[in-house]
Amino acid sequence: MDTNAALAQVQRADPVLKVDSIVTRFGQEVIHDGVSFTVGRGEVVALIGGSGTGKSVLVKEVIGLLRPASGTVTLLGTDVWRCGQDEMNAVRRRFGMLFQDGALFSSLTVAENIAVPFRENTDLPADMIPPLVGFKLSLVGLQPETGGKTPAQLSGGMRKRVALARALALEPEILFLDEPTSGLDPIGARAFDDLVRVLSDGLGLTVFIVTHDLDTLHSIVGRVIVLAGGKVIADGPVDAVTRIEDPWIKEYFSARAPVA
Amino acid sequence: MNTVAHWIQHEVEDGASVLYLTGVWRLSNLVAISDALRLLKLRLSKRFVVDGSRLQALDTAAGFTLYRHLAGLGCTESMVSVRGFDRRHERLLALVRERMMCPPAVSRSVHRGAVRRIGAATLNVWRLLQAHVAFVGSVALELFSLVRRPRLFRVSETVSQFETICLDAIPIVALVTFLIGVVFAYLLGLQALRYGANIFVVDGVGLAICREMSPLLVAVIVAGRSGAAFTAQIGTMKVQEEIDAISTLGLSPLQVLVIPRLVAITIALPLLVFVGDLAGIAGGMLVGALQLGISALTFIDRLHSVLPVSAVTVGLSKAPVFAAFIALIACRMGMLVARDARSVGINTTSTVVQSIVWVIVLDALFAIVFERLDI
Repeated sequence: MDTNAALAQVQRADPVLKVDSIVTRFGQEVIHDGVSFTVGRGEVVALIGGSGTGKSVLVKEVIGLLRPASGTVTLLGTDVWRCGQDEMNAVRRRFGMLFQDGALFSSLTVAENIAVPFRENTDLPADMIPPLVGFKLSLVGLQPETGGKTPAQLSGGMRKRVALARALALEPEILFLDEPTSGLDPIGARAFDDLVRVLSDGLGLTVFIVTHDLDTLHSIVGRVIVLAGGKVIADGPVDAVTRIEDPWIKEYFSARAPVA
Repeated sequence: MNTVAHWIQHEVEDGASVLYLTGVWRLSNLVAISDALRLLKLRLSKRFVVDGSRLQALDTAAGFTLYRHLAGLGCTESMVSVRGFDRRHERLLALVRERMMCPPAVSRSVHRGAVRRIGAATLNVWRLLQAHVAFVGSVALELFSLVRRPRLFRVSETVSQFETICLDAIPIVALVTFLIGVVFAYLLGLQALRYGANIFVVDGVGLAICREMSPLLVAVIVAGRSGAAFTAQIGTMKVQEEIDAISTLGLSPLQVLVIPRLVAITIALPLLVFVGDLAGIAGGMLVGALQLGISALTFIDRLHSVLPVSAVTVGLSKAPVFAAFIALIACRMGMLVARDARSVGINTTSTVVQSIVWVIVLDALFAIVFERLDI
């Protein structure tokens, strides 16, 4: 099976995320029925699957927001669901999460939003924070004037960039992105992809993306994990996965084949 | 341990200032790092070389702090070069350098002084009043079109609104007015007992409850209950673009959302006031029986002979006016919600405050008008 070959190829010696036999149930309904995969340091991995296959749920289980029925999640060497509160908080400072609609705090300005992680999780004096906030803004390609606006005044693309700046504030080792390009126009989506690639290259980030966007897959992702029927049905480099004989995968990749 | 040399060493080689970075240059050590940079007291020289061969770790915050310090000395980009970093750190520094051209950042939300705040709030009230008048006008137009085409009236929506506004509120309305009846009769009774004028407590309780207390209190309760609910419901619909969807389907949001609520509350409030009248008098009756030796039958008999019907009708006639104001304010504030969740909360609070203020203002106006009319 070339799936297995591909899987063996990408598993590195230094896994930052290990998901093992996750089972999720909502009432009678089984969402995940034994999902396992490993992400190595520095990889850019995408999780794809049809609507309702539990992609976002899986991310929530990985970052400790939603408890799976069984299975283990090892994130940066910590067992997320069996460690203490303090240990989990230490892990929380080492990853960043970009929520689907940004999840910016609407009562704070953009600059204050980005300053929150610095204020709450570091002992930086107040006068050192604004320059850092300004730097984070320019890191995600925004003008410093944006800092004075409120989230309601921003476009969808800008909101996502601000959320990315907030997720990057504490210099995370892993970045989780939940549908980073949904709701953006194609140009904005490509610009966001480029930004993620520049940052992941430059900062040596491990990136885990939940996406529907084929262009994202082809442009920045090194490896794809396909979720269907509660299981991982494919896991490997984009090209290898494209060739797998599975009705859903076939349809997915042919329905929106990229313009060559 | 925490000396300058722990983080950075400065040497001059071939006329260039060489900065050897050592240790863990990460966000968690940023305070120590920036102190070290300051204590190093670097002077501007023609060429700076940053050497990373002794470095253990580096992140963007630390890289930014270093470059910012050098820029603060007056270095231009061409004067700084790097060497000896591992590939990852070199890429990171290159990214930091490329992106750091502009870091002032407005951090705080603008904080206004007390005088400006009060002034701005006053202007807001004025603008709000103007907008309210326009809103009343458009609701009136919709009502006229309803007269011409009564088929547009949404009976089931109105009935369901009526149920939540009126039926669901009966327990709380009855409880509050009953307790007010008790308190009022008790305090009045304490005075009346001294003069042996127990029976006059009935006159006082009947008049006060029916004419003033019940309409005012019930209107305040409904403003807090249903007014807030109207704003929150319509506001949430606004946030989710449901109002736009209604317009797109060729329906009028005023017709669909505002008029059923307006009609329902205008019918419901007088009925609730009547419930309040009964409960308040019942409260007075209880105190009469327990404290003043006035039996229930005596109480009713006395009430029958002293309480003018006009006192009750005056109280009831105020209710629809209060109701209309509450509905119009609440729906208007719901429509004014911006596209974020926070403004739903702000506008809901504002609805309750405005409604209560208006109820009290209207009550005062009614008092003057009825007095002039000798009612």
